[in-house]
Amino acid sequence: MKKSQYITLSLVAIAGTLALPTFAATPNFKTEVQPILEANCVRCHTESKVKGGLRIDTYEGLMEGGDTADAVVPGKPDESELLVRIHLRPIDEGVMPDEGQALSGEEVAILDAWVEAGAKWPKGVTLTERKPEKPRRVTVPTKTPANNAEAAVMLDDLLRRENAETGVITTKTIGDDAFLRRATIDLIGRIPTMKEIREYQNWGEDRRARLIEKLSSNHRFADRWTIFMADMLRIRSNVTGGNQLLAYIHGSLDQGKPYDDLVRELISASGRVNSNPAVGYILGDDAAPMELAAATSQIFLGVRIGCAMCHDHPFDDWEQKHFYDLAAFFGKTKKMQSRRQGGAVYTTEGDEMMVLWPPEDKAAPDKRRPVKPKFPFQMSDPGTTPPHIKRFEAVRLARAERNSGEDEAASLDALLDSVEPDLGKPGDPVLEEAKEESRKLNVHGDIYRSSELRTQLADLITDPRNDYFARAFVNRVWAELVGHGFVEPLDNFSDYSGLHHPSTLDFLAQEFIASGYNFRTLVRIITLSDVYRRSALPAETDIEIREKSELNFAAAPTRRMISEVLYDSIVIAGHLEDFKWPKGANSKEVTREIRVPTGEYTIIETDEPQPVMMAEKKPMRDDGYDLESSLKIDFNSVLNSREQAELATMRMESDEAIKAREMAAMREEQERRVMNFKTETVTETVDDNPRFDSAMRMATPAPPAHFLRVFGQPARTGLGEFRDDASSLRQQLLMLNGRMTHEASRVGTLEPIHRLLKKDQNLAIDWAYQEILTRLPTAEEKADARTIVNNSAEGMADLRWALLNSNEFRFLP
Amino acid sequence: MSCSDYQFTRRRMLKTFSASLLGMPVSQLLAQGTSLEAKAEHVILFWNSGGMSHLDTWDPKPGRKVQGEFNPIKTSVEGMEISEIFPQLAKQMHHGTLIRSIAGTNGDHGRAQYELQTGFNQSPNIMHPGLGSLVVHEREPLGDLPALVSISGQAARSGYLGQQCEAYFVGRPGQKDPYLTFPEGISHARGMQRLQILEKMNRRTSDQKGAKELKASQTALKDAVALMESPALKAFDLKEEIPATVEKYGDTEFGRGALLARRLVEKGVRFVQVNRGGFDNHGNIFEAMRNHGAAMDPAIASLISDLKANGKLDKTLVVVLSEFGRTPRINDGGGRDHWARVFSCMMAGGGLKGGSIVGASDPDGMEVAERPVKVADLHATLCHALGIDLNKELTTPQGRPMRLVRKEAAPINELFT
Repeated sequence: MKKSQYITLSLVAIAGTLALPTFAATPNFKTEVQPILEANCVRCHTESKVKGGLRIDTYEGLMEGGDTADAVVPGKPDESELLVRIHLRPIDEGVMPDEGQALSGEEVAILDAWVEAGAKWPKGVTLTERKPEKPRRVTVPTKTPANNAEAAVMLDDLLRRENAETGVITTKTIGDDAFLRRATIDLIGRIPTMKEIREYQNWGEDRRARLIEKLSSNHRFADRWTIFMADMLRIRSNVTGGNQLLAYIHGSLDQGKPYDDLVRELISASGRVNSNPAVGYILGDDAAPMELAAATSQIFLGVRIGCAMCHDHPFDDWEQKHFYDLAAFFGKTKKMQSRRQGGAVYTTEGDEMMVLWPPEDKAAPDKRRPVKPKFPFQMSDPGTTPPHIKRFEAVRLARAERNSGEDEAASLDALLDSVEPDLGKPGDPVLEEAKEESRKLNVHGDIYRSSELRTQLADLITDPRNDYFARAFVNRVWAELVGHGFVEPLDNFSDYSGLHHPSTLDFLAQEFIASGYNFRTLVRIITLSDVYRRSALPAETDIEIREKSELNFAAAPTRRMISEVLYDSIVIAGHLEDFKWPKGANSKEVTREIRVPTGEYTIIETDEPQPVMMAEKKPMRDDGYDLESSLKIDFNSVLNSREQAELATMRMESDEAIKAREMAAMREEQERRVMNFKTETVTETVDDNPRFDSAMRMATPAPPAHFLRVFGQPARTGLGEFRDDASSLRQQLLMLNGRMTHEASRVGTLEPIHRLLKKDQNLAIDWAYQEILTRLPTAEEKADARTIVNNSAEGMADLRWALLNSNEFRFLP
Repeated sequence: MSCSDYQFTRRRMLKTFSASLLGMPVSQLLAQGTSLEAKAEHVILFWNSGGMSHLDTWDPKPGRKVQGEFNPIKTSVEGMEISEIFPQLAKQMHHGTLIRSIAGTNGDHGRAQYELQTGFNQSPNIMHPGLGSLVVHEREPLGDLPALVSISGQAARSGYLGQQCEAYFVGRPGQKDPYLTFPEGISHARGMQRLQILEKMNRRTSDQKGAKELKASQTALKDAVALMESPALKAFDLKEEIPATVEKYGDTEFGRGALLARRLVEKGVRFVQVNRGGFDNHGNIFEAMRNHGAAMDPAIASLISDLKANGKLDKTLVVVLSEFGRTPRINDGGGRDHWARVFSCMMAGGGLKGGSIVGASDPDGMEVAERPVKVADLHATLCHALGIDLNKELTTPQGRPMRLVRKEAAPINELFT
């Protein structure tokens, strides 16, 4: 209950001076103190919650104190734990309020003065929670922007108005070279090449707009943003349908499929991953209704309703029943597996509602009833159709007219092609006849029954009147490009999560909807804006101003390239995407240990789940340190895999039967006899001329300890898992001593810089700086570089190694 | 090189990372009044993946139908018997403690491994840190080497504690980590020169920008170079040991792992996890367990006796753990299947009372008969031994308050005298 005086005092001394003279007069309890306590403290420190053993809703509770200390000692601010806690910085452990926004300086001063003056509390007053005020809004223009550039200008204007009176420092915009680097990294996932730099520099004044146009049409755009979507959807190569889902997302981005169509397909898909890869989303959570409800809400709507799975949401207003209502949309979905060994996994719809209310732990089994699906989110209803929805409808109408008639027959044929691969060549009369016959049958209805409930849900979720949908996605894309979200964590929209700049967000969401959920349009508007071009604050900036300015989008935060982008940038900077040495140039004798069979057998069991790698080549090492190799997936072959799945043999199989069969297969797999090996040392000649594939199409996530994971690629096992952008020792070791940076630094004789170096080392130095940092060296840097390079390839390798390892390389300009 | 060293204050960071007043987290200051007298400074965790049979190791059932092929043998503790596959360990059991009444709840490898290694059940929206990550987050580093090392495989992930609390991993004990020396063809002198060039470049950027992310990156770089240059690295080189010692540990990957673990602890590493798989013996379990015994017995027994001899045993908690036990009934394939309802673990050193047995299973090893120990109690016991506050709460980067140890967990008090 009581902690030592010493600790209290030392906390106070460090945390700041408490005895602030600003409030000479005693604050008024009712008008000044009570509102602060009710808005910030009572939510968790009340009769029903009593966090930390402390109640703040009554005077008696407050005076009794919490589990660790006296909350308030009248007249003694420095002994009052409550004051100590609210004085901590927002980043400190133990800071109060724990949830929600920090108190303002003024609010803290009021509470200080109140305690100093004896913490007077009118007799019998009980405090009740006060909901946070809605964030302040400014008027969002209803005008239709003529193009993306004008939309970007409107965006900047809105943001400026929302930032008025916040006291932030708005930085200048970055220069052209830095813009080229930033945009190329963000849009296509690697640094620009020398060719791209030159082309850009030769363009006229409109070069930024041209660049955005060009990058967003580049084939790597889909690669880069597949990673973003894979993080969001938690795509894993080693679960059923994972690679197909990845390839499907890539294809969708590549074709520019509208985001709402994509999400509708993901949520409503039924069937088999090879014929309908979108079903990978449902299979990723094993088609389990509760998990899918939690994931769908959190991923696509940015609402953590999953917290209400077991109890009413602790920090929000969602009730457990809301969650069950939502889960019921998934309540008839079943995961099935055809009976054959390794048979196709697919989903279908059962007749029975599996989601029952009340929850299992709250009622006897016979008292639980099937839940009727009900969408717990409120649709906006302004009365008349708002302009952006009219625009949306016009876009959709135009598209529907273009596409009418093509879709359905095509998709059915595709389905038939994939399930009956050996029937014959396209155009084969037998096949055509079979197709004709099959079209009369309801293939979907018979085997892959599509989900009516999930189709309803998908329509509700993607409805342009559902404000959550577009905002959640815009918030994620914005944060990816600008560095911070309007809400953090990015998937936590709630009255309590401190949404800021609501009007800017609304505007972007409306433009996104009006474009027909065109992902590229959204990216273009953001990247054409001034806010995307902000520079960082200088080193001497006060830390608080810095944080405030960055959070309010007035200054660029320091962003590191995500791991796949860093990997690909090293590959591009070092010309490792292709051979950079002639054949035989790096021949050397290598002594290594190999394992040779002894002729004896041992039974081994493997129980560790092995990551499934669709590898084109074998890992490079066998000493347990294969941390930089790229294991490529061929998206086309994943989608066109000729996996045999005869419709006729597909039968309903119970979960138990599937489990038992899998166990038997596992046993067979695990208890296999393997040859014993012994280690021998051999010497061989190898031509060491490595090439590296792009990390964008690797099996994902990479194994733990791989370069990509060490630089923050998430495991994608849980919801709400974001990229870890912290630095670590392992990262540095990989960069300092890794094979990739080493090979990238070496000057290959087939590289342009090799010739330049022979001609004029000044040109070669410029070239190296541009290829690696997308800029020319300063005079001082150039002088240093001349000493380092000293007309030698080794010296140039040293320079390039240092440039690749530098913070400037891995952090965005 | 503790994982809380990288001061980091951006979004998604853990509040505690930078929560230091007088260089100590607030909670540690607050907890000082109640802090216990911790004896243990290090942990060596032998993680036996796959579900190690309790009947064929720590909890033999002589004379019962479930006994299987192995006879129990006497140990250095009066009345304590273990399986014959551990003859050398039997002589060390006066340092050891058997917990024979772990009441598991997960019979699936993935879920059970998660629970045994993190102390929590899997749940959406949160990834709990493994034991090692938790320990190195809570205890200050000692010496130059990384505070958490995982040998022959991966320790559990660091979860919400972040990249800095991930284990430094050693592919195979005795194999050199290629990332600790400059790349092939780059001499030490040239490497150091390169570092100087790099240092100057980074300083220029920091002078202009000064963001904390850059500083954190530079701290990590400094640590990486310090590690590369550290004389303590010799601990990784098993060639320093005389052949007789390597032989004593049983010249196997596991034996070398145990030997390396000892050397690392001597150099101040807080937590070493030695991984070994192959315990999912659905068939031919006795042959497999005899082989396992042959590898484990000399390694763990030599480790305990060496730690004792150099005075480190009291400060080092040795734990031999698996995700569950195996069915007492022997199946048609001569194997045993998954069994989580009761299983065992062995602990030694770390200031725990040696020679004791906690709890008991029923005569056939089917159910807990006495003193059930929940999985989370094991974690509470380990944290308690290390002086980590069981009631401590962190706020995850997602803003969710999380206890380090489950609320309902309690340390096994009878092990602390």
